[in-house]
Amino acid sequence: MGVPLKPARNWWLWAGAGGFLLAMTLWSAQGIGFSFSELFCNLGSGSRLLQESWPPDFAFLPRLYQPFLETIYIAIIGTVVGGILAIPIAVLAARNLSPGKLIWFADRNFMNILRTLPDLFWAMLFAAAVGFGPVAGALALSVFTIAVVSKLWSESLEAVNMGLPEAVRSAGGSWLQMVQFGALPQALPHYVSYVLYAFELNVRASMVLGLVGAGGIGMILETQRANFEYERVTMIILAVLVAVLIIEQISESIRKRLT
Amino acid sequence: MPKHRVGWATWLTFIIAALFIFSLWAIEFSPSRMIQVPGQVLQQLSFFYPADMAYGWETVLPAIVESIQIAWIGTIIAAILSLPLALLGARTLFPRISRFVKLISATARAFPEILLAIYFVPIVGLGAFAGALAIGISSVGMLTKLGAEVVESIDFGPVEAVEASGGSRLLALRYAVFPQVLPELAAHWLFRFELNIRASAVLGVVGAGGVGGVLLNTLRYGHFDKAAAVLVLTIIVVLAIDMISGEIRHRIIRG
Repeated sequence: MGVPLKPARNWWLWAGAGGFLLAMTLWSAQGIGFSFSELFCNLGSGSRLLQESWPPDFAFLPRLYQPFLETIYIAIIGTVVGGILAIPIAVLAARNLSPGKLIWFADRNFMNILRTLPDLFWAMLFAAAVGFGPVAGALALSVFTIAVVSKLWSESLEAVNMGLPEAVRSAGGSWLQMVQFGALPQALPHYVSYVLYAFELNVRASMVLGLVGAGGIGMILETQRANFEYERVTMIILAVLVAVLIIEQISESIRKRLT
Repeated sequence: MPKHRVGWATWLTFIIAALFIFSLWAIEFSPSRMIQVPGQVLQQLSFFYPADMAYGWETVLPAIVESIQIAWIGTIIAAILSLPLALLGARTLFPRISRFVKLISATARAFPEILLAIYFVPIVGLGAFAGALAIGISSVGMLTKLGAEVVESIDFGPVEAVEASGGSRLLALRYAVFPQVLPELAAHWLFRFELNIRASAVLGVVGAGGVGGVLLNTLRYGHFDKAAAVLVLTIIVVLAIDMISGEIRHRIIRG
């Protein structure tokens, strides 16, 4: 055997991709005013800010307890409501289960559009619609959860073994019975796992919902940030980080047992 | 016949239902409020039509472009920083350091971009630059983790071949590791870019540039037709970028 030939490269493609990357980067850097000189000139004021934000104001910690609980409530409500509503949306978006091409197509696009808007956009919209406070946050996270769970779970539903649903169907079962007894039980562990995953995302998101007035610990964060009380900002962020990491660890260990 | 017992699923459902009801009670979401909410939302919805598209082209589109630029620069920063970290984080290449690198990246991942932006805004001033830095730093964690997993999954034959023929570690990286990992890494970078577009869209809330600030202002002053323009344009642009980027990712992975 001789030396294998080096595969010929498509130089035009590489040059085009490289040129596009470079052009895009330069254009963006210019557009956002990226400058190293600014970065280094401002390091002085940056270090002053960092000094101000350290050490964290531990005396502030007790006042975080109530808003923190509110954050968790918002996350729980959003996960439960969104998790339940995601079930029909995911079923209709699964190609193998959906009762009709048109419903499948409409539902699929609905799901994709839900996914394009970030969580804080929903929070702003609901805060405008139902007023500032935790209810807006819970609604926002419900929509966000629908978007996450329905997308992931519809893919698991498409992967179920179709033998069972077809058996239900040929035994005279209705469409609903086919889904309920043939398909859902197979994908149930995935469902629980995705809902838990959405809960983790929701806990993280609910910490910042308050920045736009949708309740939870973020509302305190927003007032302290606006007043440049960075010792307190650091305290809040540290507390949030620790809480998020703990909840994630618990949720992850449950998820690992499920699948 | 097996004894009938209450399964864990029943218990779990029960616990979750209890937590849910308690949470509703705790945020004072009363049944009367529950009936009100759909009406409020529907009524609000009617104010959003028709969208003020003149405002959309004039103010919203430049803000969306800025969000895309923030996401792009953030992704570039993250890709550059995460490349060496991904190599160091690979258990198979650097068994000693990898644990430490992975721990750091896990902590960094827990940080939402917007919290980082809160620190970067006073340091580099209001605007898109702060946003790009926040996005970049917060993406490093995830890209390092995914990158390390890609590096761990490579075929070690070529690495051993380079080293057996007298090549150094560095040469092994260049000729045996990079060619194997680069396509998958690029796919991860693109995916992160898609996520970063959504992340950069909200950074305006804390003054770090992009379309989020525009939406917040229009809603704050009750200009719902202008807010509708923000939503319509954001949805269209994000869908388009997702489609293009997803297509490129599939092609890269397939080779």
